[in-house]
Amino acid sequence: MRCMVIIKATRESEAGILPDDRFLVDMLDYDEELVKAGLLLAGESLHPSSKGARVRLSAAGTTVLNGPFAETRELVAGYWLWEVKSMAEAVEWVKRCPRPGGVEVVIEIRQVFEADDFAPEIAPEIREHEARLRLQIAWR
Amino acid sequence: MRFMMLMIPKGYEKATPGTMPDAKAVAAMMKYNESLQKAGVLLALDGLHPPSMGARVSFPAGKPHVTDGPFSEAKEVLGGYWMIQVKSKEEAIAWASRCPGSENEVIEVRQVQEFSDFPAEVQDAAAGFQEMQARSGSGQPRAK
Repeated sequence: MRCMVIIKATRESEAGILPDDRFLVDMLDYDEELVKAGLLLAGESLHPSSKGARVRLSAAGTTVLNGPFAETRELVAGYWLWEVKSMAEAVEWVKRCPRPGGVEVVIEIRQVFEADDFAPEIAPEIREHEARLRLQIAWR
Repeated sequence: MRFMMLMIPKGYEKATPGTMPDAKAVAAMMKYNESLQKAGVLLALDGLHPPSMGARVSFPAGKPHVTDGPFSEAKEVLGGYWMIQVKSKEEAIAWASRCPGSENEVIEVRQVQEFSDFPAEVQDAAAGFQEMQARSGSGQPRAK
């Protein structure tokens, strides 16, 4: 199963304060372990929400609000996509994730939808369409 | 430039385990996904099961503390994401504006940090990391 491991924003990440070198080295070592264990599918850091925007959809017309956004704790600062055997395995890896000193880190683990999850709910042509789309993305 | 479009579906924070999007919504979303792909901007996309099937790890006093979902204090949660490659934030916002969704649903547009965005000393510390990313087969575009 795949899971998305979401590193929630902090005051520091939103302020664009880079963690110290020790943390960066530890994080690279951790990423290397994830690669060696065959877990790591993807991972990125995001610029602070001050560089972002929110689009609110509405029949009356969309509205755009520029960042930063107030609910720091609910914002995404970065993420990984992992291939794991279970949520329990993901939790065990997250427990070992390096943290920058003096910062309250929260990491959320969410299960990713696979085509098979939809099996009885969704027309076969949609599942086939999704598979084709993923293939096209992979070959990009 | 790469951007993530983060879908924040209304009420998803309350969704019970096994909640499925309805077929009509999925069909509309697949059309949108196809348009992203045809325009050559789509890099990746995924839907997420609700937070009631997730977990959070915090580290009070340095020790890991696990909480199973749902998370009562969360008023907005992630339902899925797209990763797109476009020329500007404005272009990313334009794509987000075309997303089919319910009234008052929100899509957050966030810029992805590229390796070259980091200061020189960080890039030095991370020497070899890009190669490692390539080895992991993550499918990210190669830095030029």
